[in-house]
This record gives sequence, structure tokens and C-alpha cells, in this order.
Amino acid sequence: MTLFARNPLPDAARAQWPYTPRFTSVNGWRMHYVDEGQGDPIVLLHGNPTWGFLYRDMIRPLVRSGRRVIVPDMIGFGLSEKPTTEHAHSLDGHAANLTALMRQLDLTRIALVCHDWGGPTGLSFAMSNPGRVRALTIMSTWAWPLPPAEFHTRIFPWRMMHAPLVGPYLLGKHRALAGRGVYLSVVDREKFARTAQAAYEEALPDSMSRLLTWVWPRWIPLDETARALERFQWLERELSQSKLPTLIIWGREDEVFDAATFSKRFKQLLPHAEGPLLVTGRHFLQEDSGPEIADLIKHFLNRLDTKENSQ
Amino acid sequence: MTDVNVVEKPDLRGKRLSFALAEDRVGHYPEFREFFARTFDLDRRGLTEPGFLRAPSGLTYALIFIGRSGEAFPSGVELHAIVDALEPIAEETLDRDLWAILRWMIGGVGNPWTVEDFDRTGRLYRLPGAPAA
Repeated sequence: MTLFARNPLPDAARAQWPYTPRFTSVNGWRMHYVDEGQGDPIVLLHGNPTWGFLYRDMIRPLVRSGRRVIVPDMIGFGLSEKPTTEHAHSLDGHAANLTALMRQLDLTRIALVCHDWGGPTGLSFAMSNPGRVRALTIMSTWAWPLPPAEFHTRIFPWRMMHAPLVGPYLLGKHRALAGRGVYLSVVDREKFARTAQAAYEEALPDSMSRLLTWVWPRWIPLDETARALERFQWLERELSQSKLPTLIIWGREDEVFDAATFSKRFKQLLPHAEGPLLVTGRHFLQEDSGPEIADLIKHFLNRLDTKENSQ
Repeated sequence: MTDVNVVEKPDLRGKRLSFALAEDRVGHYPEFREFFARTFDLDRRGLTEPGFLRAPSGLTYALIFIGRSGEAFPSGVELHAIVDALEPIAEETLDRDLWAILRWMIGGVGNPWTVEDFDRTGRLYRLPGAPAA
């Protein structure tokens, strides 16, 4: 059972989202993505509860820098199909959805940009398809089993938000995450409320269309019984052996995945990585520093080009 | 004291079940599954009939428990308001009742889950049913 044969672009997003919508089928689900520009590909991955719109201020500058920019909407978000049963979603399934898209487009030399759940899904793709990936950019996410963050172990507000029946009520009927949740996790809240909040809310217009907003939090491992524990153990192990050029960017004001803990841990896993570079931002740092982040990625990839050309 | 009570099966003649909320994974935190099993004697009654609650509005709600192969029972639950067959339900009434039912559930699950944390979460996200601090 799914909703929306074809999701309309939210009215609130129209003026800021001029990109041609593209659709394909991945694992039997209809996935929306944008594909702009030419050159080595950059793939921008969002998490919960956002969609490609999160990268609206980054697509143009990256295209202008001579790159091809691909921005998929995860199944369950944005303009992609939204399954209405929890059992349609799994971490491995979402990583496989991304893999399907990357193989259909036959992308190689990918610079993968990961945020939130775009981290575990994108990095799982990267570690299982090393021949397709050239570089990583990692922002406000994690890639190891336990513990995620102190924030995620607390009952108020995190565990309460997605507790049985409370999740469907609070995040479904009352869209707490797609609305006020993102609002609380940006620095310039007034600007966000004026220019972006409605675009996130309208992309998840009905209670059941918001299912993944309470399902995803349940996949964060909190103890040894967690469903994705082995996947995260594998991911951490693979990353610790990875030599992929990597850039770590973090929001200075991030309270969900605080920079001192999480960017430092990624730096320990990937000691060759550049950064962590701190920008203005809470968890959804692209909302406050999109153009600056695009600039950091552009220069990172230009340095990589120069290095490769000199070898 | 709670304003939500477990009640016997009501007379369903002239009524319909008005879908209110669905939960696919009641055992995500196992203490919630244990609460439902204990409260509605589910180990004995299984799928024979729903559980019923009376909410503050006076409406009765049916809890239809879902079984799923390979998982402990119940794996999920649907909440339905029992209303006059051809009448719509007032959405504000439904929302107030759902808030009260969830609050009753959190109180019943018990430590470390508290109604105070539930109320705080509701206030943080500005839910209409959340009581003022």
C-alpha cells in the first residue's frame, strides 16, 4: 500500500526548486531525483524528515563548478513513493535503493555527500561499491553501533517521540518532526519558518505519508538487541579501513550529533580526512550554511582534481 | 486517577469503527507490548476480540491487536473510535481522546516512562492536548 501516484511539488518549494523532476524504479519503489550539470558526479543525500530541498542552496554552485549533481529523495520522503507500512523500511533496503539508482545511472567517480540517515545509507553504499565512489563528505551523522548520542538515549524527548502509538500520533497526526522538529534544529529559525518550513511540511501532507519520520528513529541502535547492530558494526569496520578522500563538515551548534563527539569520532575512524570544518548550523546545517558548505565541497574536490592530475 | 478505563465489549449495533491510529511495531520498546498483554489479558484471549477503552469524551475505543508470523503477540495495534454508523467524528474530540489514551498508556507502562515526560514532549511540539507547565 502506498500513497500518491505522483507527488506534486509543494507550492512552498516551487520558487526555490527549479529542477526537472526525474523518476525511476528502485526495488519496486518510485524514486524521485534531480540530475543537473555535467562532469564528475556529486550525490547529495538527505535524512529524516527532509528531502532534496535541503540542498537547494548547494545545487547551483556545485553545477557551476563543473560537476554533475544528483539529489535523490529517499523512498518515503520528498517526491518519492511513500510506503504506508513500517515493514517496507529497513536500513539495508534504503542502502539498496540508493545502490539501484547509482547503478541505473552507471555513476562512477562519485563524490558522496551524506547527512543524517544519508550517512548510514550512503556510507553503506560506498563501502559495498568502492569502485564507484571517489570521495566522501560527512555531515551530522554517525556510522557505528553503540551508543549513538546521549540525546538518543533520553526518554524526553527522543524516545518518547517515537514510542509505540506515540510516534504515529505525535509525528504522524501532528507532524512534529517535519514541522517544529526541523525548526528547532536550525540556527536562524525566523528565516527557516519564512522560507523553508512549509516546503518540508507540504512534502509530507498526510499522517500516513509521514510514517518514515517515526520509523527511522527506531532504527538507531540503542542496545545490543537493535535490528541494525550488525550493519553498523560492519560499517564502522569498513570505514576504519577506507582510504577514500574525505571531508568532514559539522554544525557548530549541532545538539543532535554534537561536533565534539561525532566529528571527532569520524576523524578517528578516517584519520586522513580533512576537517572537521565547522560552520554555522545545528543538525540541519545546510539550512544555515548551504552556500558555504557548497564552497567547501567545491574546493575539496578541486584539490582532489589537482592532486590526481599531478600524479 | 485516570479518565480512561478498560470496559467490556459495548453493543455495536448501529455503530461503526472509525479508524484513529495504527502502530505496526508495538514491541519496539517491549514494555509497551507487555503492558497491552497484561492489561487486556492477551496471552489468554489472543485474537478472539478487541480490547475496549472508555475515553474522556464518553466514546468507547476498540484496540484491535495485530499478530505477525515470527513475532511476539501482539506485534501491532489499531485504535478505532466506536461511533454512530453514519455520523462523522469530531476531530477535536478524537484528538483529546487520543491524548488521554496515550497518557493512560504511558502511565500504565510505568518507570522509566512518565506522564510528565509525555506532557513535556507534547508541550515541546506544541500539541493542543498538552497541559500547560
